[in-house]
Amino acid sequence: MKVDLPYTDAKPQGAPDFYFAINVSFRFIEERFGNDGLIRYREQMGHEYFRPVQNIWTKGGLPAVAGYWHAFFDAEPGSEVDVQECDSQVVVSVTRCPAIGHLREHDREIVAEFCQHCHYVSQSIGRDAGISTTVFGGNGSCKQIFSYDKDSEKQQISDIRECI
Amino acid sequence: MIGRYHFCGHYEWTFSWIESNGGRGLLKTYWEEAIGEDSQRHARSLIIPQGLDGMKRYWQHTLEEEAAGYALTSDEKCLRIDIKTCPSKGFLLKNGLQQHSDSCDDCMGWIGPMMKASGYVVDHQHNHQGRSWREFRKKHDGNGSSDPEELVTDKDVRLKPGWESGPIDSFKRATDADDKS
Repeated sequence: MKVDLPYTDAKPQGAPDFYFAINVSFRFIEERFGNDGLIRYREQMGHEYFRPVQNIWTKGGLPAVAGYWHAFFDAEPGSEVDVQECDSQVVVSVTRCPAIGHLREHDREIVAEFCQHCHYVSQSIGRDAGISTTVFGGNGSCKQIFSYDKDSEKQQISDIRECI
Repeated sequence: MIGRYHFCGHYEWTFSWIESNGGRGLLKTYWEEAIGEDSQRHARSLIIPQGLDGMKRYWQHTLEEEAAGYALTSDEKCLRIDIKTCPSKGFLLKNGLQQHSDSCDDCMGWIGPMMKASGYVVDHQHNHQGRSWREFRKKHDGNGSSDPEELVTDKDVRLKPGWESGPIDSFKRATDADDKS
């Protein structure tokens, strides 16, 4: 299912140095508000800023989830990602995360909990659609599984590797 | 994942989150410390030791990378940048996004303190519609902002149609997001 990104830009790709700002924003918020605050920030972003994505997932279900991730990673150069869809789940296999890759290339200290945002933001996006996100791995490569709540495993945060 | 393609949107949303959870002061600290000193440390490492030459190198690279419509002009005392299509504000306007009361404060919020640390001040105006100009000069060189056509001619964004299409914020020899009039 083809999905158009809900927010579009005049240029095909964003500047890679924006990953620097994403990383430091996590650090700043965690230092001021603690890990609970960082989780709250990520969940609220998923629920508020990503509301158009919620609508896409709610209307289109798992085919729309797969289509969204295809479109998303097409606009994130430096990624090596495979998106597979079957009846009960969508599996996004990230062999090279563009954000972690760019931060590493530039010797930036990566927030240890960086990769947890992929769970908290997507879990919040999928809440109204009844779609859960479970992340395994991290620190540059991971597997993200999107499935209806009844079919999903509960996320164990310890299954998401810290960035080192 | 939150990505770089739509960064300008969730970055602006973040301003609102920080301000609503920690106040205006914390948002200014975020711009100064997290963005100016941490995220943009590559800018800092050019600008503080190299002054105007470092600014030219940084902004030429950045504005090209962000595909901004811009003109960069300089003499021995001043660097001037005219932007007719701000990529950040352009993204927000194109997508109808506005969480924070004035996302344009971000620029002066991180650039201003960096200029202060470098001994420079900023003369700047933006119209909240993606058009702006700014001049960087040493704090003690005695010059004020140039009038239209003084430093640049046809590149001055104030002379382009649409300059007065939105409310204009003005900064004179400033280094702080709240120095505006």
